[in-house]
Amino acid sequence: MIFLSDFISAEVVDVRQHRVGRVRDLVVVMAEPFPRVTGIILKGNRKVRSLDWSVVRSWDNKELSLKVDEASLQPHTRTDSELWLSRQILDKQIVDMDGRRVVRVNDLQLSQVEGTMLLVGVDIGARGLARRVGLEGVGRRLAAVLGRDWPQKLISWEAVDPVKSDVSSVKLRIAHTKLAKLHPADIADIVNELSPEDRNAVFAALDDEKAADTLEEIDEPQMQASILERLDVERASDILEAMAPDEVADLLADMPRERAQLLLQKMEEDEAENVEELLAYREDTAGGLMTTEYVAVLHTLTAAEAIDRLRQLEPDAESVYYVYVVDGEEHLLGVLSLRDLIVAKPETKIRDFMIKNVISVRVDAGPREVAEVTSKYNLLAVPVVDQHNRIQGIVTVDDVMERVMPARAGGRRRRIF
Amino acid sequence: MLLFAVIGPGIITGNVDNDATGITGYALAGSQFGYDLLWLLVVTAICLVAIQSMVARMGTVTGKGLSDLIRERFGVAPTLWVMIFLFFANAATTVAEFAGIAGASQLLFGNAARFVAIPIAAVLVWFVVLRGSFRVVERVLLLLTLVYLGYIVSAVLAHPKWGDVIHHTVVPTFHFTPAYILIFITIVGTTITPWMAFFQQSNVADKGLHPDDLKYERIDTAAGIVMLNVVAFFIIVATGATVFAAHVHVDPSDPSAFSKIALALKPLAGQYAEQLFAIGLLNASLMAASVLPLSTTYAITEAFGLERGIDKSFGEAPVFLTIYTTMIVIGAGIAMFPSAPLVLITNLPNVINGMMLPLLLPLLIVLANDKRIMGRYANSPLFNVFSGVVLVFLTVVTLAFLASIFFPGLFSGH
Repeated sequence: MIFLSDFISAEVVDVRQHRVGRVRDLVVVMAEPFPRVTGIILKGNRKVRSLDWSVVRSWDNKELSLKVDEASLQPHTRTDSELWLSRQILDKQIVDMDGRRVVRVNDLQLSQVEGTMLLVGVDIGARGLARRVGLEGVGRRLAAVLGRDWPQKLISWEAVDPVKSDVSSVKLRIAHTKLAKLHPADIADIVNELSPEDRNAVFAALDDEKAADTLEEIDEPQMQASILERLDVERASDILEAMAPDEVADLLADMPRERAQLLLQKMEEDEAENVEELLAYREDTAGGLMTTEYVAVLHTLTAAEAIDRLRQLEPDAESVYYVYVVDGEEHLLGVLSLRDLIVAKPETKIRDFMIKNVISVRVDAGPREVAEVTSKYNLLAVPVVDQHNRIQGIVTVDDVMERVMPARAGGRRRRIF
Repeated sequence: MLLFAVIGPGIITGNVDNDATGITGYALAGSQFGYDLLWLLVVTAICLVAIQSMVARMGTVTGKGLSDLIRERFGVAPTLWVMIFLFFANAATTVAEFAGIAGASQLLFGNAARFVAIPIAAVLVWFVVLRGSFRVVERVLLLLTLVYLGYIVSAVLAHPKWGDVIHHTVVPTFHFTPAYILIFITIVGTTITPWMAFFQQSNVADKGLHPDDLKYERIDTAAGIVMLNVVAFFIIVATGATVFAAHVHVDPSDPSAFSKIALALKPLAGQYAEQLFAIGLLNASLMAASVLPLSTTYAITEAFGLERGIDKSFGEAPVFLTIYTTMIVIGAGIAMFPSAPLVLITNLPNVINGMMLPLLLPLLIVLANDKRIMGRYANSPLFNVFSGVVLVFLTVVTLAFLASIFFPGLFSGH
C-alpha cells in the first residue's frame, strides 16, 4: 500500500541523479470518485517550489526520481479545485459517512491506477499514527510476537466528507454534498463535534428545510444560538421560518435581545407573530412548551368540509395527530382523530361525532403536569387553553418528555466542561 | 446576563489552580521566608496573563481545543511528545492532589484516615465526574473556595506590618540559598502550569463563544488570575505574620509541616485552625483531582481523534475511559503508600510542569501568530514582545531549576 507519509520528506533527484529537494506536500485535483495527484510541492535550497506529477519517473524507499533534469523543471499549473494534502487534509477532522462520526486523518492512502496516482483512502487507525512517527515496523513486530494481526483502519475516500472549511469552500463545489444526504439527527451529532466555523460550513451546504431539522435536533440552545449568530440574518431567518415556532421561541429566548428582534423582523409576518406569542409565556409552563402549529376546524363544518379544510391548510406531519374542534371564538369544544374524520359519512356535522370531553391543560401548567396528562391518557399531543377555554396551542409528547426526562435519557451528548 | 454566561472558564481555571501543591507551596513560602516572595506573585500573574489570554483567545476564535490546534498545525510527532509530557505532568500532579487529600484527612481524623479517605475520594471523583455532572462538581467546589476567604480574615486579624507587606510586593527580594530557590521554583511551577492552558481553552471552546465575546472572555481570564493571586497573596501574608513571625521552623520533609503551616489560620479559627486548613486543602485537592484527569484525557483523545465524552460506554470510548481511570488509579495508588515520599511527590509535578512550559509556550506563540488559524485575531507585535519576555523568564527559571538538581551545590554559596 502507498501512503502520503511515504512521500513526505522523500528525496527528489533529477534524471542526472542531482538532488533537487525534499517533498513537502502532494497536490490533488478534486475528481469523482477519487482525487488525482497532479503536483508536488518540494523544498530545496531553502526555497519552496512546485512541479508537475507527470515528470515523476519512479519512486521507492523515500526517493523520487524525475524524468527530466533540474534546469527544465516547470512549476505545475495551479487550478481552483486543488488541495494540498498535507496542509489541508492530513491531521484534520473529516466525517466518516458510514460510521457517521468525526474522525482525524492520520495518513492518506494513495493508489496507482493506469499511470495516475489517486487519493483513495483515509487512514484513521493507530497504525497510521505509528507510521507517521516511524514506529509502524516496531508495532507490527510487537503484534507478531503476540501472535496477532495489526489491522489497518482505512476508509474509502468516497465515504468521507472533509469538514475543514477552507477545503469544503464553495469554490470546490463539493461542499458537503454527501453530508447533506444524512438524516438530520446524524448531521446534528456530527456538527456537535465540529468547531463553530466548520459547523457553519456544514449549514451553508444544507437547504433551509434540512438546516431547520438539523438545528431542531441539536437541541442545545446555546449551540443553536451560536450557529445562528454566525449565519447572515437573511439565511438565519429563512431557516427559522422552516422550524417549528416553539423551537424558534426557545432558541430566540437564549439569544441577545437585539439579535432576536432583528431575526423576528426578517421572518415572514405570520411566522413571526406565532413566535412572539410563544415568547410571552414562561419557559417552564405549558405555554412555553407548546407550538402554535395545530389544526382546528369550526364545529359547524361537515366531515367532508373538514377534510377539505385540512387539504387547504397542508399541516405538517407533526401537528396532524388530532383535529381540534372550535367555535367562532376559538373555544375548544372537542377533538377528532384523522381516522374519525375519514370513516365518518361525508355529510355528517363534525359536532355530532367529535369527542366532547376533550383533555386539555392550562397555559400556566407545569411540564410535569403536562407529562402526567399525556401519559395517563396516552396522548400524542395535548391542547393548551387559556382561562376562558380558548385554544392557544398544543404540546407534543416529544417536547414534554424532553423537558421532564433527565438529559442522558434524551440521548444527547452531555457537555464535558 | 451575557457577562454572566461568558464568565466562567477563566475563573474556574484560576480557582482550580489553587490546588494542593499551590496551597502548601504558598504556605511554605510564607512560613519560611515571610513576605520575601510576595513580589513573585506579581511576576507569575503577568506570566499567566500572557499564557491564559492567548489560549482564551484561540479557544474563542477557533472553537477548538489546544491539542486540536497543535495536531493540525504541527503534525503527529510534536503532538505525541506534548501529549506524553502532558500525561506524565498531570499524572504526577494528580498524585500530589491525592497526597493532599491524604494530608487533609490525617489532620481531620488522625493518621490512619488516609487509607479510607483516598479510596473514597478516588471513587467519588471517578463516579461523580463520569456519571454525575461535572457542572455540579464545579459549582459546589467553587462555592467551597470561599473557605480561602478565611486567609484574608486571618491575615488581617494577625496584624501584619502592612508597610512591610507592600514593600515586599513591589520590591523583589532574592536569597541565593537552596531553600529559597526551591520555593521560588515551586511557586512558579505550581502557579503556571501547562494543564491550565489546555483546560481553559477546551472549556472556552466547549462554550461555543463568538469572537464578539472576546472582551468578556478577557475580563473572565483576568478575574480568574486576580482571584488566584489574591488568595495566594493572603496565604503568604497570613503565614508570614504568624508562623514566620513566631519563628516556627517548618521543614517541608517533616510530617508535622502541615499542622505547623495551619497555624496561619489561628487568628481566625483559634483552636480549630488545623481543621479549617484541612478543609481548605481537601477542597483544593478534590477540585484539582476532578479536573486534571478529565482535562488530560480530553486533550489526548482530541489530539488523536478518538471517541470521547463522559456519557460514552467503555465499548464506545475505550481509550477515553482507560486513560481517565488510569490517571485516577495512579494518583490514588501512589498516594496510598504509607512510606510515599510526600515531599518528592508534591515537587515532582512542579519539575515536569516547569520543564514542559518552555517547550509548550513557543507552540502557543506560533499558533496565536498564525493568520490562517487566527485571522485578524492573531497576536499583535506588542503581545509577541510581551509573551517573548515571559518565555525567557520561564526558560531561565527552568534552567536554574535543572542546574540546582544536577549541581546541588550551585546555589548553596559554598
